[in-house]
Amino acid sequence: MTQVISKSDLMVWLGRLTESHRLIAPVDEAGTTLFQRVSRVEDIALDFTNTVLSPKEWFFPPTETLFSVEKKDGGIELVPNEGVEENVIFGVRPCDALGIALLDKPFLNEPADALYGRHRDKTTLIGLSCREARPECFCTSMGTAPDDPANVDVLLTEVADGYIVDAVTDKGKAILPQDLLKESDVTAPPPPSMATVPVEGIEDAMSQSFDDPYWERLADRCLHCKLCAYVCPICYCFDVRDYNDKGTVQRVRSWESCQSSGFTTIAGGYDRRAGKGPHLRQRFGHKLLYFPREFGSPACTGCGRCVKVCPVNIDVREVIGDVQGLGGTSGQ
Amino acid sequence: MAPELVQQIRDKARELLTSGAVDCVIGYGRATDGVTARPLFVYEPEKVDELIFDETCTHNLVGYLVNRKGKKTGIVVKPCDSRAINVLLNEGQISRDDVSIIGVVCDGVVETGWNRVGEAQQARCQYCHQHTPVVYDFLIGEPREESPPSAEDYAAVAEMEAKSPEEREAFWAEQFDRCCRCYACRQVCPACYCTECFVDKLDPMWVGIRVAPEENRIWHTIRAYHLAGRCSGCNECERVCPVNIPLSLLNRKMARDVEDLFGFQAGLDDKEMQPLGAFEKDEKLGIGE
Amino acid sequence: MANNDPFIPYLATVQSVVDLTPDVRLFTVELNDPAVRESFTYRPGQFAFVSVFGMGEVPFGITSVAHRDEGLQFAVRRVGTVTNALHEVREGDTVGVRGPFGNGFPLEDYEGKNIFIIGGGIGMAPLRPVISTVLDRRDSYGDLLIINGARTPRDLVFAPEFDVWAQSPRTKVELTVDRGDDNWTGRVALIPDVVRDIKPSPENMIAITCGPPIMIHFTLQALKELGFADRQIVTTLESNMKCGLGKCARCNVGDKYVCKDGPVFDFEQISHLFEEA
Repeated sequence: MTQVISKSDLMVWLGRLTESHRLIAPVDEAGTTLFQRVSRVEDIALDFTNTVLSPKEWFFPPTETLFSVEKKDGGIELVPNEGVEENVIFGVRPCDALGIALLDKPFLNEPADALYGRHRDKTTLIGLSCREARPECFCTSMGTAPDDPANVDVLLTEVADGYIVDAVTDKGKAILPQDLLKESDVTAPPPPSMATVPVEGIEDAMSQSFDDPYWERLADRCLHCKLCAYVCPICYCFDVRDYNDKGTVQRVRSWESCQSSGFTTIAGGYDRRAGKGPHLRQRFGHKLLYFPREFGSPACTGCGRCVKVCPVNIDVREVIGDVQGLGGTSGQ
Repeated sequence: MAPELVQQIRDKARELLTSGAVDCVIGYGRATDGVTARPLFVYEPEKVDELIFDETCTHNLVGYLVNRKGKKTGIVVKPCDSRAINVLLNEGQISRDDVSIIGVVCDGVVETGWNRVGEAQQARCQYCHQHTPVVYDFLIGEPREESPPSAEDYAAVAEMEAKSPEEREAFWAEQFDRCCRCYACRQVCPACYCTECFVDKLDPMWVGIRVAPEENRIWHTIRAYHLAGRCSGCNECERVCPVNIPLSLLNRKMARDVEDLFGFQAGLDDKEMQPLGAFEKDEKLGIGE
Repeated sequence: MANNDPFIPYLATVQSVVDLTPDVRLFTVELNDPAVRESFTYRPGQFAFVSVFGMGEVPFGITSVAHRDEGLQFAVRRVGTVTNALHEVREGDTVGVRGPFGNGFPLEDYEGKNIFIIGGGIGMAPLRPVISTVLDRRDSYGDLLIINGARTPRDLVFAPEFDVWAQSPRTKVELTVDRGDDNWTGRVALIPDVVRDIKPSPENMIAITCGPPIMIHFTLQALKELGFADRQIVTTLESNMKCGLGKCARCNVGDKYVCKDGPVFDFEQISHLFEEA
């Protein structure tokens, strides 16, 4: 027996959540779909495959104040950013949920990032199984699946006229609308299938092809924009800068990308990672070799967003296949 | 494009590479979706058969030439792209001797995304009156008669101008609010070649790197000003934007104003300096007059 | 660390500012909070971020040693936005300090060995605490050989301490410059050539070097010519950093973070790094 909620009752439930919490859900705007705060459930886009930007921005915002500098008693005081609200994010796909779980690894690793930790504690994730896989999807090769409940608090799976409701964690149970749930014997449909990507052994393959001229050639067409990093559910490079707005000083963290030129340049101009090849290689090296070595799995969830947005079609699936095919040129 | 013309592109590329006239030919290849195009760098004559040309070849490859200064490069260009070559020649960013230009007479490109080939031509093609490249060494296809420019070309700009300042303010605030400062627009643009962009500068910090409404607005408007008189209208900036900000509106507005005020269009030749980069001694500055 | 939030610096007051060279200043700071002063222990080779609030934050090797109780010291070369701002800071001003970070030198492993310090320019700053430790615990270490080089005589950092170093038992100090001046009577030679000229035996010796990348590159060559094994040559790497915590993903050289796994590495470790250090 499963628990189900009807489509209309789902809207009632989400409506309640807009009152009790800050509800974040996919919203259509100008031909894109983005996670935004909603106060009216009519604004929620239910018919979407995935958003342009992943929900990581609700834990690791594109711009976030770390602390401000206040004048106090003739001196100064550093006031940490305490402003974190109770969020419920609706519509989190399993690939994105895996992304958030992977993001925990660098951020909550000792010494833990307190601000990120507070975002995580105060956020409940309502996942949504995927009915269809996009041509660029490959989540099943990256350790998850279109109906994977592993990293969400509640998982909804669409069935005729409603959704199966699966409370995965206690946090999830706590927000369930018990009065709107019904028992049912409906079973979940099989998840959509998708092409696979040869990820097995990619760490060793990356290690062995590290000095191959392949990277220089691949990087020829890279524009060094930040699209791949920004749409990715797991990319987490950031920059920290002080801002002095008419006497108010704040230290602010903002998204960055290892692909921007000057990422490793130090004052005085020396850049130890100069060159297009090493630059682009860093992205794939980090995702497929360094992150697995440090945290045990690749920093990729198979969401396919980077494949979709790259203006010059640098396709991680193609890169993985190419790297597997490169013989060992240097081992480390 | 007719297969024999595509073959001409390949033959020309092969010839340039085998003769040693160039180290590399930059053209278009097939993307991993099997239906759209992507930039292709061909170094070996045996690989020229990977070159394609069709209505999905939207990319402006001219930006790649800036970092290849001093190296001999072949390049496949559409007419709009060729105007960007003139802009870069005029600004000293590339040397004419270094580039072998394979110019393609273009029938227009369609809207594309990954794995998506649109039916309709891109908006910029609909008001294009330049189907033959303005600079080339080898021409693929036959030049054709052009329709004359018309006021309709700037219809979208006129529509925006007809709105009140408050309406325009609200419109752009909504657009810029979605901007995530990925700088895909900047990186894809051949005219954005500054080694340190104003927006990245730390001292003085002209803008900052916060993703915030005020900063987003300043980023886009200053960039539009920096492109005034230099933008060749390829609209790649708008294509690559992940959140569909209508950047072409800003650039078209600048282009229209530069044409009205100075009678100048970017990139038609490499001789005349674009108006905002030129300073004549007896210029009217409009100060104290 | 006494702080719950690793991104929030400790407040510190500048005790003194001393010009070492035309573009290097020595800052001595004291952490304001007594509890933090108590718990802030650090080892030679570790670094900390210094903040000029409103301008930014930059990592510097800590150039003092904790056991001398001389205050927390940083030798800062004026080269960019934040270091320029730092050079405007005066005695009594407030700065931020975040740290200590990094692995530091494994000085316990060097006990009983001869120590060979090779520093170029501001690269002497993270090496100075090693020298101080060896001098203060003289019997725990063998011979101490120091080569200190700079572009010109005025650019030799820590010049006031050379005599103190040289007067220590079993210690030799060799200075060199790329270009002399009217008063300079010492060596005018590149550091690697001085290494070759002195020809120290690699037997039971650890060479610790820091300086501009090109100097390290050629010094490494010279040391290997003399028979030093990779394991015997140690350096401390520099990188653009934003967090010091292994989270901003900027300072990695391959899969090693300069802030967490370094900044101290020996050259055998460096030879195994994926990327060029």
